Amino acid sequence: MRKIGKWAAFAAALFVLQTSILPLIAYHGVSADLLLLLTVSVAFLRGAEQGAFMGFSLGLMQDLATGTFFGVNTLARTIIGFLFGQFSDRVFKEQFFLPVLASVAVTILNYFILSLLMVLLGYRFNLESHMQQILVPMLLYQLAFSYPVHYLAYRLDKRLEEKK
Amino acid sequence: MSRVRRDKKSPKKVWALLFVLVSLFCLILFAARGRFQAPVASQTVSLILSPFQQAVSWFGSELNYITSNIWEIVTVHEQNKMLKNEVNQLRQQNLQASDFAAENARLRELLGYKQAATQFDLVAARVIGRESATWSSMVVINKGLGDGLDKDMAVVTEKGLVGRVVEAGPNSSKVQLILDPRSSVGTLVQRAESRVTGIVVGDMDNPTMPDMVNIPKTADVQEGDLIITSGYGGVFPKGLPVGLVTELKNDDGGLLKIAVLEPAVDFQKLEDVAVIVASREAPPEPLKPPVQTPGTETDPATGEPKNQEGQGKAP
Repeated sequence: MRKIGKWAAFAAALFVLQTSILPLIAYHGVSADLLLLLTVSVAFLRGAEQGAFMGFSLGLMQDLATGTFFGVNTLARTIIGFLFGQFSDRVFKEQFFLPVLASVAVTILNYFILSLLMVLLGYRFNLESHMQQILVPMLLYQLAFSYPVHYLAYRLDKRLEEKK
Repeated sequence: MSRVRRDKKSPKKVWALLFVLVSLFCLILFAARGRFQAPVASQTVSLILSPFQQAVSWFGSELNYITSNIWEIVTVHEQNKMLKNEVNQLRQQNLQASDFAAENARLRELLGYKQAATQFDLVAARVIGRESATWSSMVVINKGLGDGLDKDMAVVTEKGLVGRVVEAGPNSSKVQLILDPRSSVGTLVQRAESRVTGIVVGDMDNPTMPDMVNIPKTADVQEGDLIITSGYGGVFPKGLPVGLVTELKNDDGGLLKIAVLEPAVDFQKLEDVAVIVASREAPPEPLKPPVQTPGTETDPATGEPKNQEGQGKAP
């Protein structure tokens, strides 16, 4: 229970940072999605099952707290947590390149899942110009924040495992 | 180098995950059509997170204040030159405006035309949270039900319309910006010869510039026109500036055109807003002569007598 509490506090801190400080350095309103990075890190560290659970919880918190299209982040993050968790036993978790490369892949995957959902909800947009406006700056932000988020998640996971 | 164990996924767990995903997909569709809402859960999450958001955003705004002050000190000489030019232009405009205002009052009196100005009761609020503008544009403000806020109240700044409150919690509220693709605002062109109506909606292709849609192709809308709220629909009071037309393009259907707007409010620097909690009609304020700077060309002692005459007749 205490373990879940610590992960929840860490996630809440990242969310507050993401919504209160990162908008100050946003480019045309686009900034980093730290909770998406945390979902991938947890998926790599803890496996598919816990990755999907973390993705579900973080997505739900984001959907409820921001007032965006309800459920879209929950669905996207659950899928991402599950998919990236499949690689948890095949990667070296403390490597620098793992979170950096994963942040690119996960941002693109998350973008296309959400694009598909928006199209299904009846919204039309020009994919090419939207990618230029949204995806490219977001990728740069994600690259910048991927290692710090993964490092903190890795340290927290290690500490909790040692206590266990 | 540590490795973790391989997950053993039973078919039961995979089915459970599939069930969750399908349920979530259904929830998204229902929520988008307004058939599903989770107000209690949403307010609970906001209640827990908003104190932390307030504290952190306060720290962020202080940091921003310090850095912008430093920047201003660095650029003060250039700014001073620009401001002097602007002051000269504004003085001239001010004199003209007071002439027009006096003339307007005389003509109204002549025609017996009565129009009461609208007075707003405002609640000042600070933006404490904002999500990345990827698919939607929402902000969280630090005032809620306890401060008199409620759903569907208009949110403004001194420059124009920001959006509307979509969910009011006990100590914070969620505001849907006019940039959000789900937002729609009844508007019209302010120019007296035009007065064309349309709807301003958020554009997913360009999240910083909303579109005014439903404009007939032959309608009189020009680049540079100021778009204001029309008051239709009852959510937004009439006359709030929304933005300037920067581009006109044809709608895919061919019968209508779309005006791309540059919002009146700078959404990138949105920190303080005001929520219109009530609006009522108030009698127009008596005209006052503009404040003049002593010793300048607009000083009553040295100014043109014609302008003084015009102001003297103001009721």
